Amino acid sequence: MYTLFFQHLNSKVQLTEEEQAHIKTYLTLKKIRKKQYLLQEGDVCKVIAFVEKGALRAYSVDDNSNEHIIQFALEGWTISDLYSFLTGDPATYNIDALEDSELVLISKSAHEELLQTMPKYETFTRLNITGAYLAMQRRLTSIKSSTAEERYQDFIALYPHIAQRVPQHMIASYMGLTPETLSRVRKRISSK
Amino acid sequence: MKTKQTIAIIGASGNMGSAISRSLSRGNYRLLLCAKDLEKVQAVAADIKTSYPGAEVEAVDCTKEASWEADIIINAVPYAAEKEIAEKIREVANQKIVISIANPLNETYDGLVTAPDTSAAEELQKLLPNSKVVKAFNTTFAADFSTPVIDGKQVDAFIAGNDKEALQVVSELVKTAGFHPIVAGNLPVSGTLERMQLLLIQLNMKYDYNWLAGWKILHQ
Repeated sequence: MYTLFFQHLNSKVQLTEEEQAHIKTYLTLKKIRKKQYLLQEGDVCKVIAFVEKGALRAYSVDDNSNEHIIQFALEGWTISDLYSFLTGDPATYNIDALEDSELVLISKSAHEELLQTMPKYETFTRLNITGAYLAMQRRLTSIKSSTAEERYQDFIALYPHIAQRVPQHMIASYMGLTPETLSRVRKRISSK
Repeated sequence: MKTKQTIAIIGASGNMGSAISRSLSRGNYRLLLCAKDLEKVQAVAADIKTSYPGAEVEAVDCTKEASWEADIIINAVPYAAEKEIAEKIREVANQKIVISIANPLNETYDGLVTAPDTSAAEELQKLLPNSKVVKAFNTTFAADFSTPVIDGKQVDAFIAGNDKEALQVVSELVKTAGFHPIVAGNLPVSGTLERMQLLLIQLNMKYDYNWLAGWKILHQ
């Protein structure tokens, strides 16, 4: 139920049994089925979700009803509308499940209490947010300056097994390409 | 809130459980109904779907699975069965809202089985120390759910709990069910609420209200 979560936590900050038990009391275990929403645009995002099993995506919808995928989250990843979570403003992202999934949720109040009472959790949060910032900068740079082929290769490096689990049109949406362009890019790469 | 919340109703085949399920199916919720007798609870789910074809309601075999999926858990089993349920759901109910509807009546309906300094809700909180236990739906009879306005007055429904956000969420549920929510106070107020229902049951039997009666606070 939270094996992967604690593996992930322990890989960043080594926890004792007691510390793990203490953190457990703050966690919410949640199953979500394929196509169900964890968050809809307009609501305030009140949780950070860690994926113990399954796959989710965060996406925004533009004025012409086009979906733009911001992030995928497979096992071991966290997903949230961090902006909404941290500021309390309404979310601009939707988050839904691409597969039946098992999540470990940390609510805002649990998060704040842990930050105040447990220095190791604060360290973990700092590392996580730093990681998220680096990933965002890398993604921005990639979108602005790389060729479509380089972008696809960056993407596969980031999410190695995702192509088997997520439909191509979603990958295209994440990369900001049309499905046709993505298909051509993949052909070019495989023929090399 | 736009995002659909999932509610597990444990004991959904009973009088209260099925009445609560039926009234909440009108709201923006996904309902998972569980009970010992799966066939009975399937019948409740089918019946709700006939009345409200748009309702998202499903009978689920396993109480733990349903509670794992749920955002909110309604414990609609009698007081005597609460301990067994709590053991099953403890881990997956962590940090979630768990609604205690039970009135811990004795067999002759003239007293409570709990000690004077506690309540069914506080006992449930002891069994689920990391859940947000809220007392609600205990001062309303099952028949009130189909008739929440009696004699032209909307029945009041009292709520008690320690978590402010949880009280807000439960107030919304109470409104969806058609009652007027009143937050009475912290969880220890539950003892008073449970005794209020003991009185209402006794009055119902004495004056034959036909189980359609409720509380209304009159005020300026």
